Amino acid sequence: MIIAIVGLILGILLGLYLPVTYPAALSLYISVAILASLDSVFGGFRASLENTFDTEIFVTGFFSNAVLAALLAYIGDKLGVPLYYAAVFAFGSRLFQNFAIIRRHLINRMRQAEREAQ
Amino acid sequence: MMKSYFVKGLLLGIGLLVGLILAIQVKNLDEDYYFVSIKTMSDLNMEIRQEKEEIEQLKSMIESQENRLKEYQSAIESDGSINDIIIQDIELMRMRSGFYDLEGPGVLVVLKDSERELYEGENPNNVIVHDEDVLKIINDLKIAGAEALSINGQRYLNTSEIQCAGPTITINQMTYAQPFVIKAIGNPDTLNAAIKAPGTYAWEIKEVFGLQVESHISERIRIPKYQGNHTLQYVTAEEGGSL
Repeated sequence: MIIAIVGLILGILLGLYLPVTYPAALSLYISVAILASLDSVFGGFRASLENTFDTEIFVTGFFSNAVLAALLAYIGDKLGVPLYYAAVFAFGSRLFQNFAIIRRHLINRMRQAEREAQ
Repeated sequence: MMKSYFVKGLLLGIGLLVGLILAIQVKNLDEDYYFVSIKTMSDLNMEIRQEKEEIEQLKSMIESQENRLKEYQSAIESDGSINDIIIQDIELMRMRSGFYDLEGPGVLVVLKDSERELYEGENPNNVIVHDEDVLKIINDLKIAGAEALSINGQRYLNTSEIQCAGPTITINQMTYAQPFVIKAIGNPDTLNAAIKAPGTYAWEIKEVFGLQVESHISERIRIPKYQGNHTLQYVTAEEGGSL
């Protein structure tokens, strides 16, 4: 949990200082892939709160979601249909769902802690 | 224990990856960063060079126009009118556009069908002078700096056609059979070279297909004026387009 956050911060710092760029045409795919992987991250966080976290499911979901989302965006580009909307809607709504569940879990935990303290 | 380290490493790696891509993406979408490929760079360079060349051209044009203006001014100062210069200009234009019989140094080119025997099964087209041959030789002469051209006594103007009409060729709506006599006024040596130098089109049809191509230098080539009419049906001068 903490180690993932540390990795995230390290990655952001690295990304800000490394002189890496890619063609602007790819930025759509990368954006969609980022959304997909963020969904996986939230899903993983939720699972760890529910004590059902499974590393293999998390890792495979992380990569396959990202790849699928980018692929969908690419196919949509080739067909002239903005298929990446599908990825944006699916992952976006799941992101909010997961976030709502995470919120509930955290609040429940806080209440429990308060009750135990009383 | 091993497994737990592996999981931690995996989580660290994934976190790193997400952060890295996120940061790069944010940075990439920033206005200050553009992806510039080598091709776009060379394209832009080319464009800049072209613009510069155009500027140079425009500058030289301004210069020549200024010189012209000075000429007019000096003419006004000395004679009180610019009629002489304008008449000179008109004479030049008339010479160029075929109003006058012209003479000057140049070359006389004669094109004739080949007299050799055909090979067995050879296409007889190979030994005949075509409209295309005349056209290409005319163009070669233009490249060599010909100032005036005629084909079989027809002044060759910018609007003159060279049309295939069976075994004959139509020029300025007059039809001629071979031999075709092309006259060109210009630098005789360069014009002659455009016909005789190895590798030119005329050399090729002579050496490869055996057509008869002759080129004679003359100090006094005479080219008749254009006999057709000069009226224009569709063209009007663009407003402000004159010099």
